[in-house]
Order: sequence, then C-alpha cells, then structure tokens
Amino acid sequence: MSDILVQMQKDLYAGNFSEVETATKTALDLGMSAPEILNDGLIAGMDIVGRDFRAGDLFIPEVLMSAKAMHAGLEVLRPLLAESGAASQGKIVIGTVAGDLHDIGKNLVGMMLEGAGFEIIDLGTNVTPEQFVQAVSENVADVVGMSALLTTTMLSMKSTIEALQDAGLRDKVKVMVGGAPVTSKFAEDIGADRYAPDAGAAVDTARELVALK
Amino acid sequence: MTSKTLKPYLKYLSDSHIEEIHDGSLDLLENTGIMVDHQEGLEFLEKHGAKVDFQTKRARIPRQLVRRALETVPDRFTLAARNPEKDCPLIPGGRPYSRNGGGADFTIDLETGEFRPLLHADVKDYYKLMDALDGISFIAPVFGQDMPVLGRDILMLREAFGHTDKHIHLRAFTGESLKLMFEMAVIVAGGKKELKERPIVSLLEAPISPLKFLDVTVDALWLCGEYGIPLDVCVMPIAGGTGPMTMAGNIQLLNTEFLAGVVISQLANPGAPLQYAPRPMAMDMRTGFSLAGSVELGIMATAGAQMAHFYKVPVSLHGPWSDSMTHDGQSILERMYMNMMAALAGANVLVGAGMMQQSLVISHEQLVIDSEINHIAFRSVEGFEVNAERLAREVIDRVGPGGNFVADPHTYKFLRGERFEPTLQYRNSREAWEETGSKTMVDRAKEKALAILEEHQPNPLPEDIRKELDEFVPKALKSLEK
Ligand code: B1M
Repeated sequence: MSDILVQMQKDLYAGNFSEVETATKTALDLGMSAPEILNDGLIAGMDIVGRDFRAGDLFIPEVLMSAKAMHAGLEVLRPLLAESGAASQGKIVIGTVAGDLHDIGKNLVGMMLEGAGFEIIDLGTNVTPEQFVQAVSENVADVVGMSALLTTTMLSMKSTIEALQDAGLRDKVKVMVGGAPVTSKFAEDIGADRYAPDAGAAVDTARELVALK
Repeated sequence: MTSKTLKPYLKYLSDSHIEEIHDGSLDLLENTGIMVDHQEGLEFLEKHGAKVDFQTKRARIPRQLVRRALETVPDRFTLAARNPEKDCPLIPGGRPYSRNGGGADFTIDLETGEFRPLLHADVKDYYKLMDALDGISFIAPVFGQDMPVLGRDILMLREAFGHTDKHIHLRAFTGESLKLMFEMAVIVAGGKKELKERPIVSLLEAPISPLKFLDVTVDALWLCGEYGIPLDVCVMPIAGGTGPMTMAGNIQLLNTEFLAGVVISQLANPGAPLQYAPRPMAMDMRTGFSLAGSVELGIMATAGAQMAHFYKVPVSLHGPWSDSMTHDGQSILERMYMNMMAALAGANVLVGAGMMQQSLVISHEQLVIDSEINHIAFRSVEGFEVNAERLAREVIDRVGPGGNFVADPHTYKFLRGERFEPTLQYRNSREAWEETGSKTMVDRAKEKALAILEEHQPNPLPEDIRKELDEFVPKALKSLEK
C-alpha cells in the first residue's frame, strides 16, 4: 500500500481531520482514483478503528473523532464518487418511536452509523408510524432504525412495522430496533429484522442488513 | 456535658469552589439561558424579567431573578405518610430516609430466579414487601407490563394506596394523568387543604440535559406548587454524553439546571417544597450506556449535596444503585459504596433500593438486602453520644486492668441502642451455618421476602376512602381516552 494511504489511516485513527483532508487531496494529486482512496484509505482505516473499538481499546468519542476525520476526507471525494455512486454505505432512517422522548441512545447510534459511512435521516423523537413510513418511502431507505426506552412505547415499533407492511414497503426496507428495554426476542416477536444492544453493534448490524438486501 | 459527634459529612468542594460553581450557574443562566418548550412558561419568564427569544424558545434569566427565587425555597418539609408514624421529615442535618428506585418493569422471579417482565400481580407483592421493610421509608412505583398503557401510572398509584400506608413517590406519564393522581391523593388525604398540609405523595421531574425544559416538566412544576406537592428537581446530565466529561463540568451543568427549576417553581408558587436531586450519571465510553454504579457518581453526587446545603434545600441522592444484572456480588459492592457516600454526603433521601441494570430491573432479594444496607447507612451518619457516662471512665476504673465488661451494669444499661442489629449478616459459627443449610445472604434475603409476602398484612385504606377511590379511578381512566 502506498505511504500516503498508510499515513492517512494513522491520521484517521488519531482523529486528525485536517491531515486526513490534506492527505486525500494529495492522494488525488498523485493520481489515485477516488474509489481507491475511499476503500483502501478511509474505509480500511475505519475498519481498524472499528476493530479496536470492539476489542475495548478505543472509546466511543475516539471513534466519533475518527469518523469526523473520515468525513473530512469523504467530502473531498464526494463530487468524484457521486459519479460512480459509491459515496454512501446505505441510507438509514432513524428515530425514537411515538410517545418516547429519549434520544440520547438514538443520537449515539446515529452518530456511529454516520461515522461508518451511512447516510442518516434522523426523524428525531416521538416519531409516529406514519412518519416512519413516509420517510422510508421518500428517501428509499435501506434500513429503518427505531429506538425506544419505555416499555410502553416499545409497542409502537410493532405498529410501525405493520404500517410499513400496509404501505407495501416491508420487503423493501430492513428493520433494526434497539433501546434499553428491547430484546432480540422482542425484535423477533414483532417481526423486526434485527436487534442491536448498543451503538457499536448497531453499526455491524446495519452493515449486515444492507448486505442482505 | 453531653454532645453528639459531628455530622460526618463528606466534602470535595471548598467554599470557594462552591461560590465559583454558583456564580458560574448564574452566568450561564444569564448568558446561555435555557430552552423552554412551553409558550406560557416563556411568557411567564419574560414577565418576570427574563430575556426571551420566542423563536428559539430560549430564556436568559438574570441573576436577580435566581436570587429572588432562592429566597423562597423552603429549607425543610415533610414527606407525609397516610400513617403519620411513617412520616419522613426532611430537615437540614436531619437523618436520611430512603426509597426504592422507581420505574422498574422487569423483575428477577422470586421462585425461579429467571429474568422476566414485571406483571400486575408482582406490583402488589412489591408494594407489600416494601411496606413491611423498615429500611425503606417510602415507596416509588414499579410498573406491570400487562397493565393497560394508558393510565398505567394511575393504576399504579391505586395499587400503592391499597398496599402501603407509607409516603408514595409518583411518576407520571402525562400531564393529564398527573393531575388525576393528585386528585386521588386529595381523596386519600381528605381534601385539598389537608393534602397541602400533609402531602402524602411527591413527584420527580427532570429537565432534559443540557438545559432544556419540556412542556410537561413546566406543567408539573406548576401543578406541584398549586397542590403543595413536594417535587424532586432531578438533574441528570450524563458525563461525556449530555453533560461535560469532567466531573466539575457536570456539576456546573446540573447546578445550573437545578437553579432554572427553582426559578420556574418559586416565582409561580413561592415557598413550594422542592428537593435538589442531583443525579449525575456517566456514559460508559465502550457501550454508551448510562452508568448507575460508578465511584465517580458518588463523588459528583457528594459535590451536588454540598451545593444543596449551600442553598439550604433538602437533597436526595442515588443511594443503593448498581449496573449489575442481578443481586450478585457486583450489585452489593456497588450499592454499598454508592449508599455510604450518599449518606455521608448528608443526603436527606437515599434513592434506589432494589434497582439494577439501567434502572429497569428490581428484585425482592435486593430490596430486602437494601433495607439492611440502608440501615447501615442510617447508623453511620447517626454518630454517637459523647458524655461522662458514655465515656465510661468510672467503669473502666471499676473493671480495672485485666477485668471484663460483660457482666458490668454499664454494659447492661447500654446493651440496646448503641448498635444496629443486622438481620441478614450471618455472624454465627460455621458449624451452625452448615447445620442450617449453608445459606448465603441472598438465600436468607429470599426467605425473608417469601415470609413477608406470606404473612404481612398492609394497613388497608379506610372503607369510605377505598370506595371513593374506586369510583374515581375508572372515571379517571375513561377521561384519559378522550
Ligand atoms: C435503531 O437501532 C438501535 C440500536 C441500538 C440502540 C437504539 C436503536 N437505541 C438505543 N440503542 C442502544 O445503543 C445505545 C448506546 O450504545 C443504548 O441506548 P440507551 O438509550 O439505552 O442508552 C443511552 C445512551 C443512555 N441512557 C439514557 O439516555 C437513558 C437514561 C435514563 C436515566 C433516562 C433519562 C436520561 C431520561 N428520562 Co427516562 N430515563 C431512563 C434511563 C434509565 C437508565 N439508567 O438507563 C428511563 C428509560 N426512563 C424512564 C421513565 C419512566 C421516564 N423517563 C422520562 C424522561 C427522561 C428524561 C427526559 C429526564 C431523560 C431523557 C433525556 C433524553 N434526551 O433522552 C419520562 C418519559 C418521557 C417520555 N415520554 O419519553 C419518564 C416516564 C419519567 C418521568 N415521568 O419523568 C424509565 C423507563 C421505565 C420503563 N421500563 O419503561 C427509565 C428506565 C428510568 C426509570 N427507571 O425510571 C442502547 O440501548
């Protein structure tokens, strides 16, 4: 691998976003292609970050800082990648379900997904099944992610899945659910595709779901 | 001369730290301000002299306003109980009281040990158990997952009234249900005036960190003032998440949020009873979870208690708290230090008995153990009496070198009262332990819980009140459907 990509990965790991941005430009100047820089530099770098996060060596804020650095590089590549359509890992509509105002976990999951290269459409809190359906259809989302922190609002996940069914969208979008009282058993019962226990797992799960599509 | 030992209050902040934090909060309220998602609330603050931007819902509160609000906050009040013997007077420098952690709706099955949803039948058992445990002074709700969603909070209060004559701490899901619950309390107290004089219920409300007040929170602050219901202003930034990573920054933020709560409450209802409830949390940086049992929480909460003492308001802190999944060693380790720190910080209320795993799970065994853990905390802050008779110089002289005190009249006189006698800690011989089945503390807690559930008869509501409540509740539930 070229020195510049090795250095880019190191800077990415350390969260040095201006260095990553500069390195991306330099790499382009050196004649590398945008997809090459994306895959062998930025995404490969984030894979190392992800590996060390899962091993417990990195903390969430460090991952987010690396993600910010990745985005600095990605912004440089975006116009070039748009042509090839390789800019995004997938589109995810995310929100906290109706009646629920807890958004800390949902925001964290959103940030981590964004950091991993997904395009996030965040609908905020207290999101009704209709609003989820509308956003999924408007954005042609790959995944819809629902968060609930109250046992009373968890049931709204089920209503949302039913609403997706009624709108004829259920087989076009994967459903991921999470939040403290949610379990994989519950996810299965309501017909969600996957449950993710935390923000790190949500990234891996989203990747799997997009790959399944 | 006789005198009591000193209050063993822990301190992290110096007087000048306290001044700096107070001043910093005034500064933040004046310059950064708070977001108030409540049109009337914004108008109210503007009327009182806050600078309000209605577009961004931002209210910047001048320092004079905060000072004025602080002047009317009462330094003491009583969490009254249906049975006055179980009243909890919250007094500066007074003894601490305790309650269970509120809001759980999962349980560890008492018979099988399996983790499962908490159900309506469990709710009754939990109230009954907590009614009997004397290390739990008053009771917060636990929820049954098989109960209707709409009005679940109201049904909880109905069950609580039927199963305990202790003070009841409320959790409301909506503003409408809150008002209906206060009306239920009016029925049990025997009138609105009687409820104000002896508030048999209290409430917890929390702004959203950082610095955001929802409409329901403002409504609740006002409604509590109107009914004279004591309110915990629960400020819970999660360090590194919804609050700064630093402990000092988290305290700075939560103190600012508390003062904003004081302003909204006191300017509307001067003298309304409220409690400072610093619940600093910490985000676990590996999972993002909000931690309950971490030593830094105890440290931050202690600093919060110092701020409460500075403002002369009663303070409630997280006591027996834990992140553990069940009532195991981790759980007992975490809750023991959390509770001791809180008690030694001078908390008026120790919160959390029974609660585990992100405040979702409660267990009978843990409640029984926490009743004991609370007693130990109560005992620790109580200190001891120092006077000539107790210093026992005469007695030491009488017994003399090489003697013993066992049969001395002084021992006989002070035998009861100097010590807390635990009911769960095993202190007998190994032989006796093995003969009685080699039971662990958790086994003994389970036996005690089963025995209480079998035998304990809570003090029932007077018949006329029971009737009135049972007429009121179905109507209340119906009115929510609209
Ligand atoms: C799409 O895919 C995915 C995948 C993974 C996903 C995911 C989605 N979403 C989450 N994940 C996962 O990834 C994240 C991190 O890795 C994790 O996210 P979490 O969201 O679990 O974790 C966060 C990062 C940190 N954790 C949190 O943010 C929650 C912490 C606790 C303390 C909590 C908070 C902070 C709040 N609360 Co509330 N609150 C509690 C919580 C108790 C606790 N200790 O957990 C809980 C959840 N609350 C509860 C209650 C009852 C309430 N709360 C209420 C209000 C609030 C605040 C506003 C004060 C505040 C929320 C602020 C905010 N901006 O979100 C009220 C309801 C308001 C409403 N309508 O929503 C109110 C009803 C209480 C009241 N009347 O005041 C309890 C729920 C009981 C139950 N089982 O139903 C509760 C367990 C505390 C308790 N015991 O009372 C994973 O779950």
